[in-house]
Amino acid sequence: MGVGKKLIGWLDERTGLVALIKGGLDEDVPGGARVRYVFGSVLTYLFLQQVVLGILLATYYSPSATDAWASTAFIQDRVAGGWFLRGLHHHGSSVMVVVVVLHLLQVVLAGAYRKPREVNWWTGLFMGGLVLAFALTGYLLPWDQKGYWATQVATGIMGTVPLGEPMQHTLQGGAQYGNLTITRFYALHVFVLPVTLTVLLGAHLYLFRRHGVTPPASLSDEELARKTQPFWPNQLFIDVAAMAVTGAVLVWMTYRTHGAELFAPADPASNFVARPEWYFLFLFQLLKYFEGPLSIIATVIIPGGVATFLFALPFIDRSESRAAKKRGPVLAGVGLIMVGVVVLTALAVVADANNEHYQEGLVAAHEDAERTRELAAEGVPPEGGTAVWQNDPQYAAIAVFKETCATCHEIDGRGAEEAPSLTHYNDRAWLRGAVREPRSLTYFGGTKGHEEMEAYSVEDLPDEQLDAVIEFLLELREQGKDEPDPSAYDAKLAKQGAALWEDELDCSGCHEIEKGADGVGTPVFWGRGTRAWIARVIRNSSQADLYGENAEMPAFEGKLSDEEIAALADYVYAQGLAD
Amino acid sequence: MSDEAKGQDTQTPSEGDDTRRAFLKVGVGALGAGLAAVVVAPALRYSLWPLAEGVEVTSGGDEFVVVGKRDQFGAVPVKVDIFADRVDAWNRTKNVKIGSAWVVELDGQLHAFSSVCPHLGCAVDYEAESDKFVCPCHDSAFGLDGAHEAGPSPRPLDQLEFEEQQDGKLLAIRFERFKQGIEDKVKV
Repeated sequence: MGVGKKLIGWLDERTGLVALIKGGLDEDVPGGARVRYVFGSVLTYLFLQQVVLGILLATYYSPSATDAWASTAFIQDRVAGGWFLRGLHHHGSSVMVVVVVLHLLQVVLAGAYRKPREVNWWTGLFMGGLVLAFALTGYLLPWDQKGYWATQVATGIMGTVPLGEPMQHTLQGGAQYGNLTITRFYALHVFVLPVTLTVLLGAHLYLFRRHGVTPPASLSDEELARKTQPFWPNQLFIDVAAMAVTGAVLVWMTYRTHGAELFAPADPASNFVARPEWYFLFLFQLLKYFEGPLSIIATVIIPGGVATFLFALPFIDRSESRAAKKRGPVLAGVGLIMVGVVVLTALAVVADANNEHYQEGLVAAHEDAERTRELAAEGVPPEGGTAVWQNDPQYAAIAVFKETCATCHEIDGRGAEEAPSLTHYNDRAWLRGAVREPRSLTYFGGTKGHEEMEAYSVEDLPDEQLDAVIEFLLELREQGKDEPDPSAYDAKLAKQGAALWEDELDCSGCHEIEKGADGVGTPVFWGRGTRAWIARVIRNSSQADLYGENAEMPAFEGKLSDEEIAALADYVYAQGLAD
Repeated sequence: MSDEAKGQDTQTPSEGDDTRRAFLKVGVGALGAGLAAVVVAPALRYSLWPLAEGVEVTSGGDEFVVVGKRDQFGAVPVKVDIFADRVDAWNRTKNVKIGSAWVVELDGQLHAFSSVCPHLGCAVDYEAESDKFVCPCHDSAFGLDGAHEAGPSPRPLDQLEFEEQQDGKLLAIRFERFKQGIEDKVKV
């Protein structure tokens, strides 16, 4: 006797383990092992795998409103294999939903909900509901835009039904989303739901063993007995083969999508295009058809009716035989529900595919996702997910601007008007305005000591001439760059503008356009408006080719670091790119 | 769906049946092991990732950090907290405490000791009555020069690198952590 056998013998003598395993495996399958019996086993496998994956994710995930996104991004983008395990967990829930539906359909087709298996049917339905609850609670946990907004809709629906508000507030831990929402969803997702499902699964398996499989109704008792095979290994082999196919599909899906999506951190101020996960799309679509007080039809009455129908199926089905053709109405009822779900899902998918606004929103959402996850590589500030934007150099520039520049300049209304506005600074409309109304607050109206530039009226300078001059100014700007961009201005118009400048206009009385020239307390226009030019103005605007003796702006050279000045120049320059 | 076992007859088990059963049993084992491996293999890499080469889960505070004016330190040990920007897994936090040090001047010679006890990592205290550093957990005692005098600690207190900055006006310390419970001072 080998050591292994001895050890097993020793253990068995004290625990009865061998008999227990034998009891578990020794079971006759009347009518023989069949592929159609695999769904329950596949679901058990998926559930166990989800548990293992969930525990693994929990070793890196942190359930708090400030940490959830950052820790999920850490799993997704940093930890070795994190994306793969998270992807398996995410897609595993989708596959579970699919297999739950297949299992349900198989049970309905076989008539396995009928006496004496009613309680088994009900535990199964409960577990199906739990799978959806798992999906719903898990969706929020990354605390990204998608999970946050989709779950807002779900809890919002809860709040609209009678007595729903206290329920909603209990679930989300108050009137608003926050730390308590995530800790509650987490506790539900990792403790309450798994424990409940495990208990129900135990009951389900016990009842299943008590009543056995529901063999095809077409086989006679004699045939069933003759074709009987043992569960081990015949049925178990088919079961494990089906699990392997499911696992292969899961791995394939995970590789193909590089795991689960992770959008930008939840931002309560954004207008994210919220969509639920695909298996809830039919409910989402249903909501579109019922307005105002009627929405309860879509949120409660129809889903409640379907659930009631399914629960009552053993009582609704009064037919004598289990044979499918004798149970036409019941099968038609379930079939109708399935058709409804499929059609509504398809309608939702088609509607979104044709919805330009949604598609644009999705593109923007993916861009944000990519950017924030890049920024997260440096570590997310402890203020929470959205604070990851602070890693963006432009964010640093905005902060410096607020502190240093906004006392005189404004951008988008934030800041003072004691110096030219930098909103859309140097784009075509801004430049036109500078010529038409230099004395307004937007330009030099608020700047001390700047009183000399006069407005050019439409009579003296018609719009089409002004447009040409603006193109000429843009050309001059481009000339100042290391790599001029010819597409930044209209060359033909710029040529006309240059001729006007030369022959007709008074601008050249004060403004030089030659490289290396000095102004007369006025900026030279060669290279005016490039990033480097803006940076020079910030450093010290009193240089002869900038504002010279008329410079009012303090020199920030030495007060701000080179990096800060460069970032500020980038930020100000970017204001003009919007047009 | 195809039925796997059509025509099988359990009433008359044959040799072919036995071979088939054996094959199925091996198949169950092999497929099951494969399925488990799909999760277990990446799970090992994932769980052991913090140990992998080149991975630094926590970082920051590798530089010298100013802890105070040079002239505030003398014969009586002073505890200074060391603040630094720190990256801890997914978080990057500015200016947080990363540790503390005891600074004392002995015969004109400055010492900066990590307050982490080399035994098992408790925070070492200064006991004025005995004029010693004492660990509150297992009663290891150290002289003001850091020398191990009593208790289970395997080595003296860990001296930290320090430098005097701005013409000796400021004291800056580089805070590091060392392996505990061993005789040699080895950086973690």
